[in-house]
Amino acid sequence: MEFSHYAPLWGEALLTILAVLVVLLGSLMKNSGKLMGYLSAAGLVAALALVASNLTIKPTLFFFDTISVDALSQFFKVVFLVVSLLVVIASMSKYTGKGADEYFALLLFATVGMMVVSSSVDIITLFVGFELASLSTYALAAFDRSRKNLEAAMKYFIFGSVASAFMLFGFSLLYGMAGSTHLVDIAAASLANFGPATLVALLFVIVGFGFKMALVPFHMWAPDTYEGAPPLVSALLAAGSKKMGFVAAFRVILIALVALRMEWYMAFAILAALTMTLGNLAACWQNNVRRILAYSSIAQAGYIAIAFVVVGAAYGAMPVNVLNMGPIRADQLGIAGALLLILGHALMKTGAFIGTALVSSNVSKESETDPDDISNYAGLAKRAPITAFCMLIFMFALAGIPPTAGYIGKFVLFSSAIYSGLVWLAVLAILNSALSLVYYLRIISYMYLKEAAGPKIKEQKGYVVALVLTLLAVVWIGVFPEAFINWAMQAAAVLLPQ
Amino acid sequence: MISNVISLLIAIPLLGAVISFYAGTKAKFVALIASLIPLALSLQMYMEFDKTSKIMQFVESYNWVPSLGVKYTVGIDGIGFPLVLLSTIVSVLVIIYSWGETKKPNQYFALLLLNEVGVLGVFTSLDFFLFYIFWEIVLIPMFFLIGSWGGPRKDYAAVKFFIYTHVASLVMLLAIFALYFTYQMPDGSRTFDMLTLLAATADKTIFPTSMLNIIFAGLLLGFLVKMPAFPFHTWLPDAHVEAPTAGSVVLAALLLKMGGYGLFRIILPMLPHVDKAFVTIIAIIAVISIVYGAFMALAQKDIKKLVAYSSVSHMGFVTLGAVAFTWMSVTGAMFQQFSHGIITCVLFMSAGTIQHVVGTRVIADLGGLADRMPKFAVIMMAGFMASLGLPGMSGFVAEFMVLTGSFATLPVYTMIVVFLSIVTTAAYHLWALQKAMFGPILKKYMNVHEPHAYELFSMAMIIVLSLIFGLQPGLITDIMGTAATQVMEPVMTLTQMGVI
Repeated sequence: MEFSHYAPLWGEALLTILAVLVVLLGSLMKNSGKLMGYLSAAGLVAALALVASNLTIKPTLFFFDTISVDALSQFFKVVFLVVSLLVVIASMSKYTGKGADEYFALLLFATVGMMVVSSSVDIITLFVGFELASLSTYALAAFDRSRKNLEAAMKYFIFGSVASAFMLFGFSLLYGMAGSTHLVDIAAASLANFGPATLVALLFVIVGFGFKMALVPFHMWAPDTYEGAPPLVSALLAAGSKKMGFVAAFRVILIALVALRMEWYMAFAILAALTMTLGNLAACWQNNVRRILAYSSIAQAGYIAIAFVVVGAAYGAMPVNVLNMGPIRADQLGIAGALLLILGHALMKTGAFIGTALVSSNVSKESETDPDDISNYAGLAKRAPITAFCMLIFMFALAGIPPTAGYIGKFVLFSSAIYSGLVWLAVLAILNSALSLVYYLRIISYMYLKEAAGPKIKEQKGYVVALVLTLLAVVWIGVFPEAFINWAMQAAAVLLPQ
Repeated sequence: MISNVISLLIAIPLLGAVISFYAGTKAKFVALIASLIPLALSLQMYMEFDKTSKIMQFVESYNWVPSLGVKYTVGIDGIGFPLVLLSTIVSVLVIIYSWGETKKPNQYFALLLLNEVGVLGVFTSLDFFLFYIFWEIVLIPMFFLIGSWGGPRKDYAAVKFFIYTHVASLVMLLAIFALYFTYQMPDGSRTFDMLTLLAATADKTIFPTSMLNIIFAGLLLGFLVKMPAFPFHTWLPDAHVEAPTAGSVVLAALLLKMGGYGLFRIILPMLPHVDKAFVTIIAIIAVISIVYGAFMALAQKDIKKLVAYSSVSHMGFVTLGAVAFTWMSVTGAMFQQFSHGIITCVLFMSAGTIQHVVGTRVIADLGGLADRMPKFAVIMMAGFMASLGLPGMSGFVAEFMVLTGSFATLPVYTMIVVFLSIVTTAAYHLWALQKAMFGPILKKYMNVHEPHAYELFSMAMIIVLSLIFGLQPGLITDIMGTAATQVMEPVMTLTQMGVI
């Protein structure tokens, strides 16, 4: 077979080779941190270009039909690559010395893992990608080797492993039932012989993915991990690896287990309602900014989970005139909304966590208190004007105030909920958005209204570049959403039968 | 005629805000220029404005997010234009009044300009989505103005202001979505176009009364909170007391008008198609706001809080005039919006000037200030007289029109207002004025002096405007009269509506 046949996968190949190269070079050269940073960034940009050249490719299968390159996988790959790139750019200001090569290599491996997951149409491949990403991020979560890091990584590792175990057990049942690991075969089998084993498998799969997506009540690890891990790693976890849970869940639940949609429809309705409400309520009581962001990302997972409910309610419904896109299906619209929300949230959360990274890395030197405590954000507008301004926009965007990236996904997703008759869920979600403003506003009022808590902070170049790039992307998506909506609609179509 | 004049009107203060932010201490000059150009543009528009036309003028429309049916559509008619004029006038005067601001002047003037952008956008948007964006944008500069330049409890006041009005906006947003998702254009597409959606609310087959009632209630809540009307007014006194003077002025003169604008633009066209009980409910809210506001003002110790409650009372006239639904009362209510917009500026500026010249706003601690600041005293007295409704000033004309017009359809409510509020209104104004400015001067105030010339200038300009519009109301009521006819065209009276 010709080499060029694999062109759509060159991005993954490039990053894998680069990651190995980074480890090799790091062991040979001394003080190579800076170089590794640039090398990783360049590699990610190149991979992004490779993925972007096949943005809306027709579904193409590779490696015995286990890997599918399609609009959906490309959508998620872009999200993962952009997040990793932003994290790498910010990291160049922090990880320059010894060990930087390991850091960047782990980050690249994690990215490859996430990319593999987004392309997997086979449960074993999916699991391998999942573990590659997870194991790399377990190590990253403990990278600074502080007490808190270790605690965070330990929790993350234990919960992650339990989730994997649940998932794998569910997968094994699916395999036993279908005799195949391909998602399409499982879909056919579950449709043909629907029985108690399928239900148990569904239960295990939902619990496993619930952990990964941090849905309430499987969310407990997220605040502790996001708070304790190095802040830039938290950005990768919240914006990248959590979204990996979503793409995996989309593929497994919406394709393989679609026969059971009446069962998971109710489960996800309850999970979504619980997750967004509890996430938002819990965020109101936190004093640690990273915990606030963690709970906010739990709440966002709740919004995204609405997509499952919409698909369950409107699966295969006749196309209707929704919005102004001509006749389309509500289930497709729901997934498109979730994708837009995932894209927006990935950017906003990356930006927000990079902001906290800048603050905590500068504060911890001078105070013994918790570096992420909200009191350290007092007067940030004076101490670090660029960071504070970017954070301000991210907070408004997370709250869904137009015209930023936050509103567009919510709009499309909540619309789809209304079209599929889930008005109560849409209203609950909008009220939750209002509630979320309470804690975002609290951070803003600390940054802009309080007296400065200390002298001016030097805003390192890497952080500033990453923040400003994220800011531009967040505003760009909000002001010119048309192209992104169309792209998300194409990606969403992959999951649904035509 | 300049093309895209409304976009220019919105873009210039926005550009000005960005430049002022980086202009350091020169920000005030940038701000002045960036607010004078919109004023000139709006005066130019006044010349070109067709006062007898009932259709939208200066319309611009571009596709923004076609797949969601969102357009950038702006335009003005007799409802919006007087408020556009008001916004450009007040913005200039408030910037002049704040000439001496020394605390972070670049941010301060940038926020004032951003506020202007927001209100101009609200008064000109003809697309619900755009309308909502501007509606929310307004909150942000005001939040920072209160929170950064405010008094001792500024954090609390800023957050309360934001959350309170944001929740109301969200209820409004839900109602807008309900309109959006229910109505389909003939070709099956969805639209946020304000006029199309409002016209569609008349169709009972699309919007059954039971459903329209809920939508209407949601929109109404959004506007009543903004106005603010009893019992949704509690955010206002806190916000006003803690806000810096310019913030209070903009809040009372422009932000409250957004609520009134919503009544005329959105509520009145829907009123004939909803449950008749709404007329009674709104009328009761209006009357309570007027009377309760006046009595609360009478009980205040802080002169600024007094002015804040007087706003609640005066804005009640807008609600009453709107819901009475006669040509006279609706025109009067629109004029009350304009008139209160300018008069309240001088009231808040007076309170602010007293605060920074004397150091307190507690009425009981003041006395005899006229002795040391005669010019200021004259202007302040003129302002208070305008506010209490002295014939010859704009406030009198407006309230007179509202009361005369309302008497025809809502006689009982009007009589309650007449009996309970007119004397009270006169009483709190005169009492505060007398106690603060006249009488023997207190020893400790022997050293106070006239405020800065720029403060006196902006206040004097407002008195002049109030006199001009008091003596020649036709300058602006002609426009409003056409708008009132246009609003009432489908149903001319409450009798036809079946209310009385």
